[in-house]
Amino acid sequence: MLNYIWLGLILAGIIAALSTDVSDLLSDKYRNEKPIDIVLTLEDGIEPAAGKEVDGTMTINLEYLHTFYGLDRVEDGLHTFTVHLTFSSSEKAVARVPVQEEFPSIWDEMTEAQPTDDDALAGSIIIVNRAGTETYNAEFTPDPLRFIGLQRVTNDGIVSYASTAVTIAIGLIGIMALWLGVMKVAEEAGLVQTIASGLRPIMTRLFPDVPANHPAMGAMILNISANMLGLANAATPLGLKAMEELNKLNKKVGTATDAMCTFLVINTSSVQLIPATVIAIRASAGSANPTEIIVPMILATATATIAGITAVKLLQRLPVYRKQLD
Amino acid sequence: MMTVLHIISIAAIPALIVFILIFAALRGVKIYEVFVEGAKEGFQVAVRIIPYLVAMLVAIGVFRAGGAMEMLGTIVGPITTLIGMDPEVLPLAILRPLSGSGALGVMSELVTTHGPDSMIGRMASVMMGSTETTFYVMAVYFGSVGVYRTRHAVPGGLTADFVGIISAVLVTQLFFG
Repeated sequence: MLNYIWLGLILAGIIAALSTDVSDLLSDKYRNEKPIDIVLTLEDGIEPAAGKEVDGTMTINLEYLHTFYGLDRVEDGLHTFTVHLTFSSSEKAVARVPVQEEFPSIWDEMTEAQPTDDDALAGSIIIVNRAGTETYNAEFTPDPLRFIGLQRVTNDGIVSYASTAVTIAIGLIGIMALWLGVMKVAEEAGLVQTIASGLRPIMTRLFPDVPANHPAMGAMILNISANMLGLANAATPLGLKAMEELNKLNKKVGTATDAMCTFLVINTSSVQLIPATVIAIRASAGSANPTEIIVPMILATATATIAGITAVKLLQRLPVYRKQLD
Repeated sequence: MMTVLHIISIAAIPALIVFILIFAALRGVKIYEVFVEGAKEGFQVAVRIIPYLVAMLVAIGVFRAGGAMEMLGTIVGPITTLIGMDPEVLPLAILRPLSGSGALGVMSELVTTHGPDSMIGRMASVMMGSTETTFYVMAVYFGSVGVYRTRHAVPGGLTADFVGIISAVLVTQLFFG
């Protein structure tokens, strides 16, 4: 099933991106290659010439700009933005317009989607004619944008998440080493087995395939306790220790045992009793009673855990899943 | 209540470590040697997880970056509204099993914009704690022991997520409705 969900997530993302891209292209949302009429002002007697890099100002009628993009918001009046120009001839220049609050939202969107990292809308300016001593009638054409959804999938989805995965794994090394060390000490001292014996009746029922005095039992109890207290830092290493112990009972490497699935579902359904992060967020947002959600949350999570355990216990009997163990 | 929780969350880990070390030392365990012996595995375990985590996170990354969540939202929105889930909360429900940090971001944004004591703020808070980041947990836990045939863990985990989300909605309405 994981194979299909995995493929499903990837396909859903790509199809969604592609359909937005196509609809953007069809509706010509970004008005690619269409020039916007502006008035360009170059102060201090600067004359446009090839190779010149100057700051100027461009004046646009906001009402015209909104109509240009087919936007509703109509605001009357002229607006002046700074523009950084690099002239390639006396009429043409590469333009960068730093983001301003007055920009229509589509320009913010376009700035973000452009490949350049700076907070400026990139485009080109062509001078049409001289209007005054320092002013020119000109056309501003933002750099065209196509398939930005797919670009986002590549950059934000594939590339950045692949490295996030490694960052997460590397970040686990230290805390993992610490808890695996502590666990080893607890094991040698016989502490893990002692903890396990107290909860033997519940544990043997949940994990009938695991011998009652097996170290996996103790590790699982410690993991579940850490989860209940909301100690995520400790819970993961303890859970991985438990998985390692459960894997020692695994006759078929690479395939999950019944006990592993049950343990996993207990973990994924969250058995948290103290949601410290949620409470902290509520408190900082000024809640009158940040902890009021604890009881309903425990009810919800307990229902989820019971449903999850019931589901795995029923599902593990299905012939499809039994067959995979042989 | 807040201070008790605060003290527990601060004291639990040091207390647990000190307790284990003293207990073991009294039993005659060579604690330093044994600790180092156990800690050695930390690196291998972390490295072993990488391929599983890359596979899972990239799929989730594509799903989110492509805007599939918004699209899924428009499809299931009408159904979830029927059981009393505000459309604003729906992205959180979809994101919860996929990304822990993403869900936390959405939840804190909902709490801040709608107020922590509003229906939406409360529902988001309850939902955040009602289930876990199933796919991340699965990648890390199974990955650490090289399990790739996950059998019924996925349908089981998703059942828990589904029930958790639905009960979060219903319980919140029951308590604060």
